[in-house]
Amino acid sequence: METFDNFLQGTVTLFSDPIGILIFFGGVIGGMLFGAIPGVSMLTLAAILLPFTAHLSPEHGIMLFSVIYCTGVYGGAITAILFNIPGAPENAPTAFDGYPMTQNGQAGKAVGAAVMCSAIGGVVSCIIMMAATAAIADWAISAFGPPEIFALVFFGLAVAASVGAKTFWKGWLSILIGLMVAVVGLDPVGGIERYDFEMPYLLAGIHFIPTILGFFAVSEIFVQAEKKVRGSYEAPKMGVEFPTMKELIAHKFAVIRSIVIGFFCGILPGIGATLAAFMGYNEAVRWSKTPEEFGKGKLEGVISSETANNAATGAAMIPLLALGLPGGALTAMMVGVFQMHDMEPGPLVFINSADLVWVVFAAMFFANLSIIVIGFLETKTIINLLRIPFQFLAPMILLLATVGAYAVRGLTIDVVVMFLAGVIGFFLRRSGYSVAGIVLGLILGKIGEQTFAQAMQMLHFEWSGFLDRWIALGLLIAGFLTLCGSIYGAFFKKHKKASVDSTA
Amino acid sequence: MGKLRTGHLVEAGLWLSLCLVLYIYSFEFDQDIEIYKFGASAWPRTIILLMAIAAIGQLAHHWVKGDESSSDMISAAVDDGSEEAAHEAHHEGLKWYLSTLALLTIPFIYMRVPDWIAAAVSAEDSGLHLIRIVVAAILIAIVVYFIRHHRVRVALMLPLFFAALLEDFGFYTLAPFFIIGIMYLFGERRPKPMALVMALIYGLLLLLFVNILFVGLPVGNIKPFYDIGSWVVTVLQ
Repeated sequence: METFDNFLQGTVTLFSDPIGILIFFGGVIGGMLFGAIPGVSMLTLAAILLPFTAHLSPEHGIMLFSVIYCTGVYGGAITAILFNIPGAPENAPTAFDGYPMTQNGQAGKAVGAAVMCSAIGGVVSCIIMMAATAAIADWAISAFGPPEIFALVFFGLAVAASVGAKTFWKGWLSILIGLMVAVVGLDPVGGIERYDFEMPYLLAGIHFIPTILGFFAVSEIFVQAEKKVRGSYEAPKMGVEFPTMKELIAHKFAVIRSIVIGFFCGILPGIGATLAAFMGYNEAVRWSKTPEEFGKGKLEGVISSETANNAATGAAMIPLLALGLPGGALTAMMVGVFQMHDMEPGPLVFINSADLVWVVFAAMFFANLSIIVIGFLETKTIINLLRIPFQFLAPMILLLATVGAYAVRGLTIDVVVMFLAGVIGFFLRRSGYSVAGIVLGLILGKIGEQTFAQAMQMLHFEWSGFLDRWIALGLLIAGFLTLCGSIYGAFFKKHKKASVDSTA
Repeated sequence: MGKLRTGHLVEAGLWLSLCLVLYIYSFEFDQDIEIYKFGASAWPRTIILLMAIAAIGQLAHHWVKGDESSSDMISAAVDDGSEEAAHEAHHEGLKWYLSTLALLTIPFIYMRVPDWIAAAVSAEDSGLHLIRIVVAAILIAIVVYFIRHHRVRVALMLPLFFAALLEDFGFYTLAPFFIIGIMYLFGERRPKPMALVMALIYGLLLLLFVNILFVGLPVGNIKPFYDIGSWVVTVLQ
């Protein structure tokens, strides 16, 4: 009851303030638009807005970012489905089936499923977040130390290696490239310079925003350029057909499973929506009676991924607000907003700024709810983007990506890095590697190394220490089993011919 | 040789060479850390070892299975059509890759060569700027020469070249030419739509990022390009 009262209080505070309402709707529409416009993402918008939040109150600043987070995660699905350009890594699995659906003339149905499932996942996640914040935060604090987080990162990477690339080995090589890129810069324990090649720029590491923009947006433009030049480019077929309630009910177990997966992935510091989406998708494949249909335009693929990633958004706020640990890029920027107002996210926020917490919770709830209304209206407009000839869309995407990469730190070298990542991504993609794997490796690499170092220090460098921690042990065993299963599959299972007759 | 092709051997060779280079370079930071007995190099070396194992595994896979994909992989990378386009283009050969890499050196030539020339002739700032303009003009002429017959390669290189020129020539001066170049590479040849779309994209970007969001985009370092950029910003803000 207290939770409901707090929620009502947060709602009243949110909607009784004209500036708050303006910022809320600005965030909702901005998040969706930037998530949906190919080549930019909610991270671009957040990066651009970050310096300006200094002029807002802490409530408005954090609320704006949390709203952008909810709607941006959904918005990224639109580009993933329509252009095979995930707005963010958490939308990458959505593209696996969403883009083939677009090519089969089912873009509308795929986007419609993303709208419904993003809203359902996000709203349910928000309700659980509000009802169980304290208990879940307590459990995560006590049960999840560095060994468990490292084990979860390992398990997540083992699962992700089997997604997106042509072979298991290429999947692992993709992830290992990402892990290697994450090594560049200062080592997390001793601050020793690694692979900086005596370039000051590399001391701070390779920033993930230009890398993500390069691997996803720019490499996609290059792929389309090649098709266009060689005459094999076909404009995606367009159809507006939203999924029926019957279809959604038929996938109810996929929705529930993805909510559970998404929520638990989201709550763990440093894991967030990306792994949630990958695991939601992967579990959908595992549980399916027709796993061979995934990757070719199966509605369940879009539903599983989009439900899971939005379910993670509400949960990701728990470690941020309760522990001060960001779960991903956008929550990391939220830490920046706190710091600009001389505040530190953490347990004290619940005591000193309870109003802020509940305004943010209420805003996230209504932002997820608004995806259904605004999402449906805006999506119809965005689907019309498909009518724009690609030769006119390409320079727009490349320039938006340029602004996005430059706006992060005001460095032109970030733009160079982005286009270089695009070229590398282009060559890797045409050789069957997974750019989503690279980006996942890059993001989880730093967390993985840091938590491994902390875990080993905690366990006094005794590997047997993992045996006493059943969650970490369970996750490590699950990761090794996934790995062994993939190696077995790579050599001993019946193989299929590379699908050069794909619908692309 | 099983089902191995030359391309598979080159791919494995590239991976193992990368591993070797990274491993050798890791001695540069192979330092002890008092509180962490594995030191700074253990983590990257583990990744390098795994990378070498995966490269060898990939080679073994090619030996046994050729170009077949794994049965339990969700082959998005295959199904996005990038590999298909490569097959259709028939330019999988080493020569194509090498000539593409050669063209991709153009942006890096611009990033390095003017400084070397300036150091060699002890040029001051204004001299360096002149050298940069001359080098850029020569490289642009080379790009224009290649643009008609090597569109894919130029499409890969042009954005990188644009990024390399940004610092000196500024976003405001370069963006219109970049937009037209990309449209041309994608097959647009009609002058009127090109001019209209260029004006529309350029205008929208400036309005959104400069006029509304006050994002500071690079204005350039070299006169008169710096003046042009500054003038655009002054007018819009």
